[in-house]
Amino acid sequence: MVDRVDRPSRVRPVIRVLAVALTAFSVAAVSGCGSDGEGQPELNGMTRTPPTEVGTVSLPDESPGGDGRSTDLKGEGDGLMLVYFGYTSCPDVCPTTLADLHMALEGMPADQADRIRVGMVTVDPERDTPKVLNGYLGHFFDADDYDSFRTMDTDELARAEKAFGASSKIGKPDRHGDYDVSHTAQVYAVDDTGQVLVEWPFGTSSDDIRSDLERLLGGDGSDSA
Amino acid sequence: MKKAMFLSVAVAGAIAIAGCGSDDSTDSTSAASDGTTVTDVWTRVTTPTQTAGAVYMTIQSPDGDTLTGASVPSSVAGEAQLHETTDEGSMDSTDSMDSTDMGSMDSTDSMDSTDSMGSGETMMGMKEVDQIDIPAGQSVALEPGGYHIMLIDLAKPIEEGDTIPVTLDFEQAGEIEVDATARAE
Repeated sequence: MVDRVDRPSRVRPVIRVLAVALTAFSVAAVSGCGSDGEGQPELNGMTRTPPTEVGTVSLPDESPGGDGRSTDLKGEGDGLMLVYFGYTSCPDVCPTTLADLHMALEGMPADQADRIRVGMVTVDPERDTPKVLNGYLGHFFDADDYDSFRTMDTDELARAEKAFGASSKIGKPDRHGDYDVSHTAQVYAVDDTGQVLVEWPFGTSSDDIRSDLERLLGGDGSDSA
Repeated sequence: MKKAMFLSVAVAGAIAIAGCGSDDSTDSTSAASDGTTVTDVWTRVTTPTQTAGAVYMTIQSPDGDTLTGASVPSSVAGEAQLHETTDEGSMDSTDSMDSTDMGSMDSTDSMDSTDSMGSGETMMGMKEVDQIDIPAGQSVALEPGGYHIMLIDLAKPIEEGDTIPVTLDFEQAGEIEVDATARAE
């Protein structure tokens, strides 16, 4: 480690971001390991005590099978829904996350992968029309395996975000009229009771996601009582 | 001081050797006279409805350099910009934000409750940056979640196996042309 080299200010924020992320992740990982009383299997992602309950959150589902019906953001039966708040005009974070999810699911045995649905909530409903959203998700997942949640009602979106502890903010348009949207980049795994079993921060590897999913599904939900 | 010099010489030596032959056939390695090299250039495939893409790479410069811009043919995209994905925090301003795009923080939605949710709830966002500094002897990675070259107004989707020519503008090295290989992940 060369410690005498001056780091220009441009590099510092990146290092700081990495340092914060690493710290947060290790704290999270440790707290995830140490969570007691829940009977949780050891997971790579982050768990909360008490777990986040989102059972009452529902949004219009514009996926081919959804038909715009109000659908709960949670798993079905013995399955899980992986909920993600993002937008399609995002070239870096969102495609990376969805690619990681795709890779995680690809490596799983079919009977387990079948129990997983991916539910993306767009934080940019203006540009992410149902067609755009479905075209985007359809690139990563089969038509039957995803839900595309979209609402033009900013209050409804805010309530859904708040239930998960997520947030988003539409940025100022640039000279072309394009805008970025800041958003929390966690993926939440929700079971059929509406409980968030685990969250993965942005950058969690597909291997870590897969191993968590296999643990959660393999144990029929939660271990013991 | 000594360590830095030794490292610079070692790196320069390594780069000089690497620059002579053509190594990676999959990724394009380009070098300029002052030794600035760009390796492992890749871009992510895009969905048919995506209007923006991202190009990633690793840049090294034994003497130090600065990436000031990038461009791509109009057959690829309308414009290429240098971008940085950053942690923007929930409500309070973070110190990594010096540009104006967080703009008006007027509370139109109930974001304050996320503060009590604990770690990991910071929002991620992107901002255009004027330049990316490559400190002497250090390797700077443009990678997912960090710096990237954003391709704006894609002319058509980027598909696996595609090669995208990108021209990089460096303060010291001048123009370096690289080819980004499209990967699914």
